[in-house]
Amino acid sequence: MSDTTNHVTLTIDAVEVTVEAGTTVLQAAEHAGIVVPHYCYHPGIPSRPAQCRMCLVEIEGQPKLQPSCVFPAQDGMVVYTTSETAETARKSVIEFLLLNHPLDCPICDAAGQCMLQDYAFETGQLRSRYDEAKLVLGRDRVADDILYFGDRCIVCTRCVRFMEELAGDNALVVAQRGHKAYIDTFPGKDLDHAFRGNIVDVCPVGALVHEDFVFKARAWDMDSAPGICPGCSTGCNINIDVVENQIVRTKPRLNPDVNSYWMCDYGRRHLVMANRGVRTEAPLIRMDGELEPASWNEALTWIAGRLEGGDGAAVVSAGAANESLYYLRGLLSNLGIDDGTFRVEQGEEITLPGFPKLKLRADRAPNVTGAELHGFKRSDTLPDVPGGGVLMVLGDALAEAPADYGANAGFFLYVGSQLYPATANATAILPAASVPEMEGTFVNYEGRVQRFHQALRAPGVARPAWMSLSRLLEHLGVGEGVLDVRSAFQAMAAGTTGMEDLSWTGLGLRGELLSEVGQPAVAVE
Amino acid sequence: MGYPYSHDLEVNTLLSRHFGDEKARTLEGWKELGGYATLPRALEMEPGAITDVVKESGLRGRGGAGFPTGMKWSFMPQEPTGPHYLCCNADESEPGAFKDREILRWVPHLLIEGCLIAARAIRAQHVYIYVRGEFFPFSRLVTDAVVEAYEAGYAGENILGSGWNCDVTVHIGAGAYIAGEETGLMSSLMGGRAEPWIKPPFPAQAGVFGRPTTVNNVETLAAVPMIVAEGADWYRQWGTEKSPGTKLWCCSGHLVRPGTYELPMGIALKDVIYDVCGGAPNGKKIKAVIPGGSSTAMLTADELDCEGTYEGMAEAGSALGTASPIVMDEDTNIVRAMRRIAQFYAHESCGQCVQCREGTSWTAQLLHRIERGEGSLSDIDTLYHLCEQMTGRTICPLADSVVFPLRSSLDKFRDEYETLIRC
Amino acid sequence: MKNPIHPAAASSQAFQIAELRPVERLFEDDEGKDRLEKALSRYPEKRAALLPMLGYAQERNGWVSDESMEQIAGALDLTPAYVRSVATFYTMYNKHPVGRHFIQVCTCISCHLREADEVFERFLAETGTRAGEVSEDGKYTVIEAECLGACGFATAVQVNDRYFENVTPDQVPAILDELD
Repeated sequence: MSDTTNHVTLTIDAVEVTVEAGTTVLQAAEHAGIVVPHYCYHPGIPSRPAQCRMCLVEIEGQPKLQPSCVFPAQDGMVVYTTSETAETARKSVIEFLLLNHPLDCPICDAAGQCMLQDYAFETGQLRSRYDEAKLVLGRDRVADDILYFGDRCIVCTRCVRFMEELAGDNALVVAQRGHKAYIDTFPGKDLDHAFRGNIVDVCPVGALVHEDFVFKARAWDMDSAPGICPGCSTGCNINIDVVENQIVRTKPRLNPDVNSYWMCDYGRRHLVMANRGVRTEAPLIRMDGELEPASWNEALTWIAGRLEGGDGAAVVSAGAANESLYYLRGLLSNLGIDDGTFRVEQGEEITLPGFPKLKLRADRAPNVTGAELHGFKRSDTLPDVPGGGVLMVLGDALAEAPADYGANAGFFLYVGSQLYPATANATAILPAASVPEMEGTFVNYEGRVQRFHQALRAPGVARPAWMSLSRLLEHLGVGEGVLDVRSAFQAMAAGTTGMEDLSWTGLGLRGELLSEVGQPAVAVE
Repeated sequence: MGYPYSHDLEVNTLLSRHFGDEKARTLEGWKELGGYATLPRALEMEPGAITDVVKESGLRGRGGAGFPTGMKWSFMPQEPTGPHYLCCNADESEPGAFKDREILRWVPHLLIEGCLIAARAIRAQHVYIYVRGEFFPFSRLVTDAVVEAYEAGYAGENILGSGWNCDVTVHIGAGAYIAGEETGLMSSLMGGRAEPWIKPPFPAQAGVFGRPTTVNNVETLAAVPMIVAEGADWYRQWGTEKSPGTKLWCCSGHLVRPGTYELPMGIALKDVIYDVCGGAPNGKKIKAVIPGGSSTAMLTADELDCEGTYEGMAEAGSALGTASPIVMDEDTNIVRAMRRIAQFYAHESCGQCVQCREGTSWTAQLLHRIERGEGSLSDIDTLYHLCEQMTGRTICPLADSVVFPLRSSLDKFRDEYETLIRC
Repeated sequence: MKNPIHPAAASSQAFQIAELRPVERLFEDDEGKDRLEKALSRYPEKRAALLPMLGYAQERNGWVSDESMEQIAGALDLTPAYVRSVATFYTMYNKHPVGRHFIQVCTCISCHLREADEVFERFLAETGTRAGEVSEDGKYTVIEAECLGACGFATAVQVNDRYFENVTPDQVPAILDELD
């Protein structure tokens, strides 16, 4: 009898909880707000070897402790996760793991975010009484950018199973057996899979580390902000880890509808490299033929006084936030410019076989859908600039533009975060915050509107483009300038077909899927 | 009968009748001795009827666990929706056990006939005989016998014109005790590390290649032809209600006549050791016996008057296991012996479960240190602690297996441990 | 090619033997192709032919090299890493060449009770090797083994695919003489 709609009610640590039939005791405990310590189980990895033995719990009627990660919850079951027998068993697992585990905490990246440390402190099992010689395995390389510290490994096999079941590449395996078992690749065949970085995330201890993160930052020194990866149109949910205003690490954040627990290595590297290049830090206006710094008010007044409608072209980046695109569209409408294009770098599409919704997508920008929703069209080339006309550029769009691009414009307004050869032709430059330096929303390939948040302080007086553009509109006597993202989002959503019912709060940290994607935005009046 | 020695006890031997007779291992010779007479009968029986006979006979698994064989067979689906498999567990690696090899080398055709009848009962069409890698001389003999069986129409397609197909493949291992555990065996057979898996799924639901599978020991399967031929009551003329039939006892260690003997279930352990095997050589007294292969609790010389049955040995605080007594005389250093036993388990742990891979190795190291005279009293406490932490916590009972001899040696020979510690 | 084997025997050929017939490409001669095909025919999944093929590599070459593992992986649609994981799990697959006569002395409990340690030491002394080493003339490698399943015939010694039983230390020289 298939009874997926049936529910069972059980008691865990005196808390009654009702779950769907087929749920494991460990998952049921989660529903009850109880976390059963575990290692080899990972909610994103299908297999359940039940081999770490950490999640053993006492179940009335069962002669032995049972692994809660696989034991099915049953009606009327009574479970104790913290009874003396369960606690003793748990402590002994920690003690056994500490037998050969080197006390590397002072030099181990996992310190402060290590499941062995955490459970050792939680259970009070801080040391083992082992007095013999420890096994020494040293450090090995499993990929160009991933190191394996064999001594620290607890052989939970999460990494092996991630590679096999999610990445579809059985390239990481357990070698040897017994207490000599360790993780290895085939000699000469290190991992080079596009999603290999996830093995570092799933490692409960500091056995697997990214080489470019090793020794870089301590868990307790890092601040973290929830963001959206700007690497491609998938829009993986991420956490951006920052120390002293530098991004030191990007990790995936769970979103069951977008990227599950994973992200690709391209995305991981992307943000850390993001802040290269020469940054715009202050508004610049062309006085006496030279671009000179000015205050915001000066600059906005000066621009508003000189901008005129007529022929024009607009180029945006597909990495610009919806809010920024919305206000730019408003500005363009005001100037009588209806079109506008964006280019987007293309790359090879790579799927994660075990979660095929997650791909490193061909469009290497996070807001292609958003740009289209706001009436911008995909193009392979930069638009021609009508001589003497207006050229509006938003975002990181001129990376490979020829140095004389825009030189023939009557008014070339550049709102972006980086300077390029072509930006030297600008009439005015408004410094924009880059993605990690601001808040806003993107729409991913599927039409999901997702929030991203600020992780870094922008340099100088750079501001989110939606802020400067809305204020420019205000200086032009059209519309209201906004200084906070909620207002920006609200205005944008109200003025964009399909988004009218969305709210910043409602999007939360998981985003919301637009029911219809592809309708052009209605311009603000 | 036994090998290499005989004994005087009156028992109409089943399995060991032809031990030592090379003629018995050829198909021709075997048929002359009356072999393969039961297979044609079994082919005319309903599979369920074969299972019933074996159930009624009370035959219990001879690989150490003693699970009722007929009941195990009855777990297999009655209406197959695809292939069923029989695995013959010839991975005999338990220290002290060497009985299956005698069947393999003297009466391989008895085993093959038993496998085929069992396969019929569980509605299987392929038998894998998994022989431990080291047994090259014996796997060769079984393989030759299997080929003979194919050539004579006892295996393969349309066996003896019955319309039933059943293949037999001899598949050898490569050195892993844990491949003798039924799910470890199946993992290995499928081309993997011999890592046991959690149950469910049970083998009868999903075993090799995801299909219903039964795993039986060599000695168990070798008893099947005669049970089917002579009937359940006949088999029950020996032994007790709960442990009927005969058993191959393989006796080793300090004995005058070590070897394999077929004896009726129920014989007293002391009679096996003193009467059948002649006690310890050179007039030495016996100090301790591990009665069922190394994974059972040690008994002192005063505790040997116990019944050689599953229930009798359990009552005595140990286990019948594979009926493989390892006998230690009065000069044996118990700590040293225990250290060597622990070393075995540490070497054979597959490494999945934390308690086993770390605990067995730690146990061996501790015992080594005590043996060298570098131990302390707290080490004994640690050993007891390990006994507790390694019991009932793991996917398979390998960790529990080292605890049986370890704990009993600590309980019964503590003075030997303390002597090494004090000096 | 050796005499053709019955398919039922494809997975049980002895793989620790003295007479090696080294081959670089395991599955390109008739014998290799035949062995592979016959082994594959016994199982519904290719992976199950892995132990038989590892055995075949060692039967021919005396040990299982990385190159052999790669070839086996290719023949069975497995990754080389997976093949390595399985090969390193089992003790009988040699990861390095061994002496022509691979001498394994059981020192497990039943043999341990009957002078196995002394038999082992005697083998080391007579062959002039340390445990696991290949002797200078390439003839011998001596190691300890866990239970060989001949407990009543202690001490048991396995040399390649043969069993020597009831071995006492003073029988060791004669055994070595018997080996060519």
